[in-house]
Amino acid sequence: MKTDPAGKEHGVMGWINRRLPVVDIWRDQLAGYAAPKNFNIWYFFGSLMLLVLVLQFATGLFLAIHYQPNPNLAFWSVLRSIGRDSRWGWLIRDMHVTGASLFFVLIYLHIYRGIMYGSYKKPRELLWLVGVAIYLILAAEAFLGYLLPWGQMSYWGSTVVVNFVTAIPVVGKAIAEWMRGSFVVGAPTLNRFFIFHVFLVPFSLLALVLVHMIALHQVGSNNPDGIEVRDDCNEDGWPREAVPFHPYYTVKDVFGVSIFMVIFFWFVLYNPSGWGFLLDKLNYVPANAIKTPSDIHPLWFFLPFYAMLRGVPDKLYGVIAFAGAFLVLAGLPLLDRNPVRSIRYRSTLYKINLLVMPATFLALGYIAGGSASESNMVVGLHVTEMFYATFFLLPYFNRQRSRAATLVWLVVLEAVVWMVDYWMYAIHAHSWSLMLQTDWLPALYIAVVLLLALVVPRLSADARVPEQLTMGGLTH
Amino acid sequence: MNRPRRTVQAITAALFVSLVPVAFAPPVLASTQTTVVPLQHMKLDLTDREALRTGALYVLHRCSACHSIQGTRFSSIARQLQISNSQIQRYFNQSGRSVHDTVVSTMPADVMKKFVNMTPPDLTVLAKRRSPDWIYTYLKSFYIDPHRPTGVNNVVFHNVAMPDVLANLQGLQVPIMKSGWLYGQRKPVAMGVKQLTQGTLTPAQFDSTTQDIVDFLTLVAHPHAKERAMLGPWILGLFALMSVLSFLLYKLYWRRVIMPTRRWWHKQ
Ligand code: HEC
Ligand code: HEM
Repeated sequence: MKTDPAGKEHGVMGWINRRLPVVDIWRDQLAGYAAPKNFNIWYFFGSLMLLVLVLQFATGLFLAIHYQPNPNLAFWSVLRSIGRDSRWGWLIRDMHVTGASLFFVLIYLHIYRGIMYGSYKKPRELLWLVGVAIYLILAAEAFLGYLLPWGQMSYWGSTVVVNFVTAIPVVGKAIAEWMRGSFVVGAPTLNRFFIFHVFLVPFSLLALVLVHMIALHQVGSNNPDGIEVRDDCNEDGWPREAVPFHPYYTVKDVFGVSIFMVIFFWFVLYNPSGWGFLLDKLNYVPANAIKTPSDIHPLWFFLPFYAMLRGVPDKLYGVIAFAGAFLVLAGLPLLDRNPVRSIRYRSTLYKINLLVMPATFLALGYIAGGSASESNMVVGLHVTEMFYATFFLLPYFNRQRSRAATLVWLVVLEAVVWMVDYWMYAIHAHSWSLMLQTDWLPALYIAVVLLLALVVPRLSADARVPEQLTMGGLTH
Repeated sequence: MNRPRRTVQAITAALFVSLVPVAFAPPVLASTQTTVVPLQHMKLDLTDREALRTGALYVLHRCSACHSIQGTRFSSIARQLQISNSQIQRYFNQSGRSVHDTVVSTMPADVMKKFVNMTPPDLTVLAKRRSPDWIYTYLKSFYIDPHRPTGVNNVVFHNVAMPDVLANLQGLQVPIMKSGWLYGQRKPVAMGVKQLTQGTLTPAQFDSTTQDIVDFLTLVAHPHAKERAMLGPWILGLFALMSVLSFLLYKLYWRRVIMPTRRWWHKQ
């Protein structure tokens, strides 16, 4: 855009910009956003989620036009009105379903990126918290949406989850009734879930994503090295180790989007049920309130939480364990206060801990995919403890600890684990022999990590962070 | 110690540690004790129009007495079988419903209630809910069981409420009992069937008829198979091409960016 000597822009865009700063926003916040040079593959997922968000809104709109939020019509409106009677309805629906699942793949990778590179640390705490709020809202959105096709699994999955709410003392029953609009999942439930799914929750999500972007642009992007690029600027105030977002990261993101779309449409066109993960087979059967399926599962992305809910012997404590998972995630800026951000320059033991964290999460999902047998639940309980242990070990690594301090950590954490186990045993009469089969999991894990730190202090020593960005990965 | 080694060690150790719970899980997960009968396999053919029409004839004449196929309409079936609307009305549709109506079971609900004491499941997406092989095995695996109200039971569907509606074609069968699991208890279970009496079809003819029925039910469950197959290569090709081009463009742009030459694992 041309400007005259007074700095006034010409042309239509100039006219608009003086009234509505679209050009300024594009120039300063989008094209001119200073992004570190060394982003790797983990930095694709945020922009991919923006794309999926738009796709979900666009496809969702068309689904809502043909959908009937009524128990007698819902199942067939999805299967017939959308799936068969309206042109390309099947494509729109499969895109919406696949999009929902891939959204969670992306968000889990995005969150783990943040954990690996310490993106929750100062000054990005609020950015992180907004992210966790987005995750919660997205989970709510998916939960609400899953009831809508009114299949057997929709119905019973929602029934089971809402029943867990009743475990909350005093107000639980009232909340559950308010959520359902009834004493059981039924017509009022379907109506309100529909309205929340298409109206309130998605727009909150949109608003939160906007806040997320504003916060990001206020503090700037972190990067795989965890070095603050804004600390090293040239005379113009431009971070020396950053490039303008446009064109450098726009071309890169177009590449990421293209690859993602290949995967996305492969699912949509060739594997719409995603081996039963995207669409549960039981959902091909209409909801039937008097026929309880033998195995009730939520969709795959909630399975780890389901293992926690089922594994902890008391319903209320199960709900606490479930909510606690979100809390420890939100609490990461408090738990991990080590000045070194990136996993690259953290100690070996910290690296191990950060790999075990998602591994236990995946293991929980695997366990919840199995049957609701007692032994299965007990394994779930102990892997839940192990998952939590990976979080509560984080403060240990805040600095290198003395031998004495390490010993204290060992004793305290072990004591906590065994006490929790005894407590769980006391609440519910799982036999000790069953408990002991997997009891040692969290105990041994904590012991191994801390004993190694005790015996080989080198393993808990962080590395020196370089002054300038480095490259990793396979490119350049 | 240098960095790559440290990282590799960390990953190996973490894998080891994280495998522990997984290694423990399988015996636990295997504890749902219901014997799984191996399914018989059939080769699907959704292009053989004659076979599909035979299948449709059986389904619309026999099965839809009890089962609805509410996800589809007579006119859609006509289109899939490449026959005219008047043909489907004359030879296939026995319900007296209009050609654009959905396929609803012809037996009144209260009669059905008395007869089998339930509403039989809709057949529209049954091939997705189970699998073609499952339906194929199911239709061939009815056996005489005097304890059941219908006089028959089924190898893959224990205590099924459906009568053996193809018995006149197939003949009657008796079970081959073997020791297995049922509802958590070890007891003899039917693992297969033996022919007892002859039906009006030879075993080979019956087999092919059953396959036709399954072919048709699979076609009904996947009405957009053609569109998918047609769109797939184009859309995937388009984005694959875009991936290549955008990758080249990305490389081109980034050539002018001076990248750090240090690798993070060479630090220190
Ligand atoms: C007399 C009524 C009747 C007729 C005719 C009939 N069925 Fe059924 N069918 C039933 C009933 C009732 C059930 C439910 C069985 C149960 O749940 O125990 C059933 C179940 C089934 C199932 C298993 C569904 C599931 O839950 O997975 C299949 C497959 C099936 N029928 C296929 C057929 C086919 C193919 C035909 C035509 C050859 C047919 N049926 C004809 C009554 C009938
Ligand atoms: C709808 C969901 C979300 C969208 C659309 C979204 C979008 C984005 C985008 C576009 C970026 C910049 C590009 C990138 O760094 O990848 C980003 C960065 C970031 N997001 Fe998200 N995000 C979402 C959810 C979350 C969640 C759930 C969390 C954490 C719990 C989170 C935490 C962060 C953090 C910490 C950054 C900065 C990362 C860094 O600079 O290293 N986001 N987000």
